[in-house]
Amino acid sequence: MSEKKEKFLSVRDLEVVYTSRKKIVQAVNKVSFDLHKGETLALVGETGAGKTTIAKAILGILPNPPSKVLGGEIQMEGEDLLRLPEEKMLEIRGKKIAMIFQDPMTALNPLMTVGEQIMEGLMLHNPYDKKQAEEKAKEMLEMVGIPAERWVEYPFEFSGGMKQRVVIAMALACNPLLLLADEPTTALDVTIQAQVLDLIKELKDKYETSMILITHDLGVVAETSDKVAVVYAGKIIEYGDKKDIFLHPSHPYTQGLFASLPSMNAGEKRLRPIPGTLPDPTALPKGCAFAPRCPKATQECMGEIPNVKLGPDHSCCCCHLKQEG
Amino acid sequence: MGKYILKRLLWMIVIILGTSFIIFTILYFTPGDPARLIAGGNATAEDVENLRHIMGLDKSYIQQLGEYFSDTFLHFDLGTSWVYNKPVVDEMLVRLPRTVIIGLSAMVLNLALGLLMGIFAATHEGKWQDSLTMGIAMVFISCPDFWVALMLILLFSAKLGWLPAYGIGGPQYYVMPIICSALGGIAVNARQTRASMLGVFREDYITTARAKGQREKKVVFRHMLPNALMPIITSIGAGFARIVAGSAVIESVFSVPGIGLYLLTAINSRDYPVVRSCVLFFAVFTSVSMLIVDLVYAFVDPRIKAQYSSVRKGGQKK
Repeated sequence: MSEKKEKFLSVRDLEVVYTSRKKIVQAVNKVSFDLHKGETLALVGETGAGKTTIAKAILGILPNPPSKVLGGEIQMEGEDLLRLPEEKMLEIRGKKIAMIFQDPMTALNPLMTVGEQIMEGLMLHNPYDKKQAEEKAKEMLEMVGIPAERWVEYPFEFSGGMKQRVVIAMALACNPLLLLADEPTTALDVTIQAQVLDLIKELKDKYETSMILITHDLGVVAETSDKVAVVYAGKIIEYGDKKDIFLHPSHPYTQGLFASLPSMNAGEKRLRPIPGTLPDPTALPKGCAFAPRCPKATQECMGEIPNVKLGPDHSCCCCHLKQEG
Repeated sequence: MGKYILKRLLWMIVIILGTSFIIFTILYFTPGDPARLIAGGNATAEDVENLRHIMGLDKSYIQQLGEYFSDTFLHFDLGTSWVYNKPVVDEMLVRLPRTVIIGLSAMVLNLALGLLMGIFAATHEGKWQDSLTMGIAMVFISCPDFWVALMLILLFSAKLGWLPAYGIGGPQYYVMPIICSALGGIAVNARQTRASMLGVFREDYITTARAKGQREKKVVFRHMLPNALMPIITSIGAGFARIVAGSAVIESVFSVPGIGLYLLTAINSRDYPVVRSCVLFFAVFTSVSMLIVDLVYAFVDPRIKAQYSSVRKGGQKK
């Protein structure tokens, strides 16, 4: 089924750095992945791994300075987004690619009504007049489950889950081809999380939108995505179908992620975290970035790390796999 | 909202009464005898005593205070100048427009230039444009206004002869006083604007606006500026107070016969009715502008407006 779908977005060797006080932070380190139409790719990894930076680079809204795209390409519909002039990008942002932000509390302008904020994008990308945009904005609100008459209200009059719905309505208002959802449920209650995820899924299916979902919640991944990319220290260390990753996690880090999930049956008293923290991104270790925390680390891990193909759609960056496979 | 304004107006009455009481008491207990000063060096003790009786200075503190309050607030009579023997109100009405014109124009200039400089500096953060603008602001802040006034007079009046050095008449007389009153405030506003613009620069909703495909210019003026405006509005209130207080200096340097100069000469000649009336005017002017500032807050920020309305709702419950 997936073979027939056309390749829609292709990211190759994306490299982004942040400069802070003369130090260079390697935020994204030669990341490549493909996304097909209507597919959902989950970027999984811990805080600071570079997931959000990848999304912002695709949308071209990385603040420069301090961040800078050093190289690579992002192909979408035959155009390299990294080399498009700003004028063209303005037309793509919000229309073809839209983003849902992590924290609904701060993602909305507190001084504008939610209606105005939804209308803003609509009027930028459509030949609507005010009346039409207003109608459409109300329609979007209804669609995410907010009564249309609340369009004149300000963000502070909404609860957190409601605000996230507004953010979703805003992102979907122009029927984007690609949706970048940056931890859309992290700031929400567990009960609201499920609702919001269902909503995103439903709307995504309705409009055949492709999605890049950024999360560190493996439960969310299992529920929503088709492909999974595990990001560690700015690199994709394992990539594959959801099934491959969940059934055959191959990288020691991915295995660690799954092992750290508490199991309901085993009756375990303690959580099993991955020891250590992300390496200092201003001075990444030579070779495998995960080696300092890896239980299997050997001398070999200091050298060149191969990208091992484990299946038709499953690859992993680890030198120990070469021997096994 | 209406209830809130009413409440504030009631508070204003309290503030004005309090100010009047304090200024009256301070003047009463200030050493020195106004009657002797006004009677002149050659007057005999009997003459002075006579004058004290006419001016009502021989009555007790409580009696004088009572008369002052009843004249001012019940009969709206500000009294007669001891020095010029003319009603204070007449003189103030002539002088008022000059002070207000200078004050308001300086305020407008403050805001317009201060905001523009601040936005310009913030959008060029870290570049030479930023350093240049902030450097200029620093110079503005560092120069005392009376010194700037003298330099302006030297250049535009003495050397170039473009503008009159003192007095009041057509619009050209107002140019230099307005510029002098505005300079300090421009710098304060520019720095404030820059700081609060940079504060909202990295807010998530700014990224949201960019992610919609909004142009940078619109992002700055529609999303950043309104959110950055709150602390600036606060400094406007303080700016008003500063300009009014500074009017004494500016008016005396440029010999503008306004309220500030009136107050200054009255203090020197112990003309208490004039001093009291001028201070009263400043108190009213400042509290009205503070009230306006607070109403502008509500206009800019719906959250504050909601607060004001909930004050009203609370009042209705009782």
